[in-house]
Amino acid sequence: MSSGNTKSANPLIRSVFTGDGLRKQSLVYWAVIAALALAGGLIGDSDIRHIFILVFIWCIVIASWDLILGYAGIFNYAQLVFFTFGAYGSAMLSIYAGLTPLLAILAAAGIGAVIGVVIAVPSLRLKGEYVALFTFAVHLALPPLIQQGKAIGMGGNTGLLGIPWLNLFGYQVSSIDKLTWYWVSLAIGAICVYLIYFVILRGRMGLAFIAMRDADTFAQAIGVNEYRYKLLAFVASAVFTAVAGGVYAHYTGVVTPRVLGTEFFLMAMVMLAIGGMGRFPGAVLGVFIVVIGNELLRSFDDYRLLLLGVAVVLTVIFLPQGVAGLFRKRG
Amino acid sequence: MTQILEILISGITQGAVYCVVAVGLSLVYGASRILNFAHGSLYSLGGFLAWYLVAGGPGLPLWLAVLLVLPVLALTGIGIERAIIRPLRGSDNWKINTIMVTLGLAFIIENGLQLVFGPGTRTIAPFVEGSLSVGGITITWYKLSIFVISLALVGALEFFLSSTRYGQAVRAVSQDMQGANQVGINVNQIFGLTFALSVVLTGIAGILLAPVFLVSPLGGWAPFLKAFVIVVLGGLGSTKGAFVAAFILAVLEAFVIFYIGPSWAMPAWLLMLIIVLMIRPKGLFGVWEN
Repeated sequence: MSSGNTKSANPLIRSVFTGDGLRKQSLVYWAVIAALALAGGLIGDSDIRHIFILVFIWCIVIASWDLILGYAGIFNYAQLVFFTFGAYGSAMLSIYAGLTPLLAILAAAGIGAVIGVVIAVPSLRLKGEYVALFTFAVHLALPPLIQQGKAIGMGGNTGLLGIPWLNLFGYQVSSIDKLTWYWVSLAIGAICVYLIYFVILRGRMGLAFIAMRDADTFAQAIGVNEYRYKLLAFVASAVFTAVAGGVYAHYTGVVTPRVLGTEFFLMAMVMLAIGGMGRFPGAVLGVFIVVIGNELLRSFDDYRLLLLGVAVVLTVIFLPQGVAGLFRKRG
Repeated sequence: MTQILEILISGITQGAVYCVVAVGLSLVYGASRILNFAHGSLYSLGGFLAWYLVAGGPGLPLWLAVLLVLPVLALTGIGIERAIIRPLRGSDNWKINTIMVTLGLAFIIENGLQLVFGPGTRTIAPFVEGSLSVGGITITWYKLSIFVISLALVGALEFFLSSTRYGQAVRAVSQDMQGANQVGINVNQIFGLTFALSVVLTGIAGILLAPVFLVSPLGGWAPFLKAFVIVVLGGLGSTKGAFVAAFILAVLEAFVIFYIGPSWAMPAWLLMLIIVLMIRPKGLFGVWEN
């Protein structure tokens, strides 16, 4: 154990402890974001801009999922439930209560927090795979409830249409204005992902998450309040995902129960599996790979979902750490 | 009064079939600690294979179709264990990885069925017609027969587990995998066996319920979740518990469907799950593992 030999079992924990390279990595992160922002102006094709807007929104969802599943080690599969509540909440508040969309998205974050607590409380009584099943059951039970919600203006199967456009300082951003949307979604996505990976996970909370995940009993022995931190993981994950839902609703202008369908869920799973859990920037790279790959697979539309399922199984078996495992730092 | 009795009977007959799905789920979990998320899709697979042989293509009689489907289901179970579960054993994040692959498998089966057979629902004609009337209460012969078949299946499984060498080996692996390995039990073989039995059980349930609930590619999630709630209420690894829980929950479901409406059935199951977890997380008979 000489000082020259700094090999540790997990480089991630070491860097969280010491804050190693936080400033340098933040700079690299924002440089990448700036490059993406520039690229937005250079891309002429609005279809490609659309794909990137989806990537940025997905990045928030997957980073939040990575936070709770990959870092906190809670097998939560209700991620799209948070997304749905965010999308519906934001849409309904702006349609029925006349809230401006930006405020509605903020309110959606609040709704996300509440839903996070509601799902966390029963989940925290459960262990491991039971959490997975319970949360996935919530996911499966939600579409029929949305149909029942037609009575309170949730639109039933057809969903909600005509969700107001985003209003930026008096400027209406329509869905067709892909360039503005590109920048808006990039900005919101970049801030959320930064908060998740660089603020929350690099701080005390992230440390507690990793301790609970890797050494449950030991973490409790040194005084990590398991219940509180797991609850916080749920709330943080739900808040960001609900924001993503809100942005999605105002971008597409439509929300239907399809957001809880097989396609979205499978996409999210593939993103996390291919990217790799608990290893930034794995999950975020997974989003880029899967969204772009999915667009390339459009011509095999019949087989697309089957292929996504096969991709999940194959990556978990042959590449258990995802692409993040391919270029893992030598510790 | 007769109406309430009829709902009760309908719940009880349904419960027996749910119990078959649940013991299959519990069997694999008990032996290998894997919650198989593809359990419901395999239920649909059983229904679809039987439907194809009976009504889709060859037009075989149902008994022959079932005889042909059973070995296919057993091999599917063994194949799943070999191809996607065994490579993961001993890996770092074994638990989350098995959840991911079985969920992935569920979607593969689901979309595979949809590709091969198309998205619609199918039905198999019941093998007996008519109904029995006693004192103003009517029950179809079909429901009565699937009730009896399901009881026989659960009874046979219980006998297998308690009184045969292989069954005892399954129980030994469930209680202590390493100990079982040390006394010379081929643990991998037992895992394969439990997967095969589990898929056979859920597949048969899929066939039995095909005339009642229809089969569709996505139709497996509901029985899967119900089986899970039953397993949780009954207590893990307890066939007796699953048995009692299945009847309680199915009767409750029958009342919810009758008095509130069929679309509330799934939310009701979820609510029952939450209530069970709140008041008795160990289940009725099971021992909560640490």
